[in-house]
Amino acid sequence: MDTVTVERLLEDRRNQFELAVLAGRTGLKRKILNAEIHRPGLALSGFVERYPNKRTQVLGETELAYLNSLDSDLRREVLERLYRLDLTLVVLSKNLPPPEEMVALADQYQTALLSTRLSTTEFISRLSVYLDTRFAPSTQIHGTLVDVYGVGLLYTGKSGIGKSEVALDLVERGHRLVADDVVRITRRSAEVIIGTAGERLGHHMEIRGIGIVNVEKLFGIRAVRQQKRIEVEVRLEMWKDEVEYERLGLEDKFTTVLGTEIPLVTIPLSPGKNITVISEVIAMNHMLKVYGVHTPREFSKALADEMMRRHATAQYLESDTE
Amino acid sequence: MKVTNPLGVHARPAAMLVQTAAKFKSEIWLSKDGNEVNGKSMLGVMTLAAEMGSTVIIKADGPDEDKAIEALARVFEIRFGEA
Repeated sequence: MDTVTVERLLEDRRNQFELAVLAGRTGLKRKILNAEIHRPGLALSGFVERYPNKRTQVLGETELAYLNSLDSDLRREVLERLYRLDLTLVVLSKNLPPPEEMVALADQYQTALLSTRLSTTEFISRLSVYLDTRFAPSTQIHGTLVDVYGVGLLYTGKSGIGKSEVALDLVERGHRLVADDVVRITRRSAEVIIGTAGERLGHHMEIRGIGIVNVEKLFGIRAVRQQKRIEVEVRLEMWKDEVEYERLGLEDKFTTVLGTEIPLVTIPLSPGKNITVISEVIAMNHMLKVYGVHTPREFSKALADEMMRRHATAQYLESDTE
Repeated sequence: MKVTNPLGVHARPAAMLVQTAAKFKSEIWLSKDGNEVNGKSMLGVMTLAAEMGSTVIIKADGPDEDKAIEALARVFEIRFGEA
């Protein structure tokens, strides 16, 4: 997880949010510790219990109109009560001019005072997106991520098992490589994890016997994509006689990546097995399940229904003494 | 391990590390600044971009873990055969 200082926010978003530093420069080193944003409405009227001082404070027209309606002494008192709580950062929207007491307090309490040209609502929503991304849990794993028919398949398995070769074959068939070898994963929400290539890695790939190749240069821009939601993990392993592999697929198996559950398919490798076609089937099967079609369950239900029907007929005939 | 050759862990040293790691059965990880990669992955080790003076942590888990760590540490000690 990144640490985000006020300075870092300025570096990253000064132009997009049209930010300017009005006062409290010594507060630029402060760390923004959570992604939440607060409008200090009630606190201005004097109630500061349980105040969320670690959140970014945003003041808009309403707050400033209220502050400006107070006489100078009261305004200073109200604001100082707030600043004394050790605020992380205060932002004024719509480039509103700060009351002079605020400028003085920002310097005194070493809390940066910024302005943005954006409206309060727009600023809050865009800052949330920025902070959420920054605070999203992320990790890096050894694997290969390919977009197969729009489904993000994450290949895992021991080094040298052939993840890159599968990816290469898929690319050849028109699918798209996201990252080979090192996949950076970020959690966007409880259900969504996104994979990207590390910044240095790009769309390079190592093929045993050849060395490093550049998939984007070799196959063109259609063969790659920058990021993809990870939807299924495909675990490749050497065929082991003693292991029972999935034959029915009635029960779905899951694995947890960064706290998010995704379906897991384990494929044992053996000579003559076409993992590329199997991969396409995994992707299409996942789509079918998303659309509510679960083949093993439907097949098994059809079978059960038929047996039930036959049993019922047999009973009927048996009890028929005519 | 400290990286002591001026060029850092560029392509050739990375290949040395990966080839050494590949001789062992154990799972091997190298990490730098909290960035962990599979020690048998060429691109992984290269993208660590461990420059001179940086510290790389070697981890191994498996039947020959001690020997693996020893062998990899040795590769760092001989400065990847570079001056």
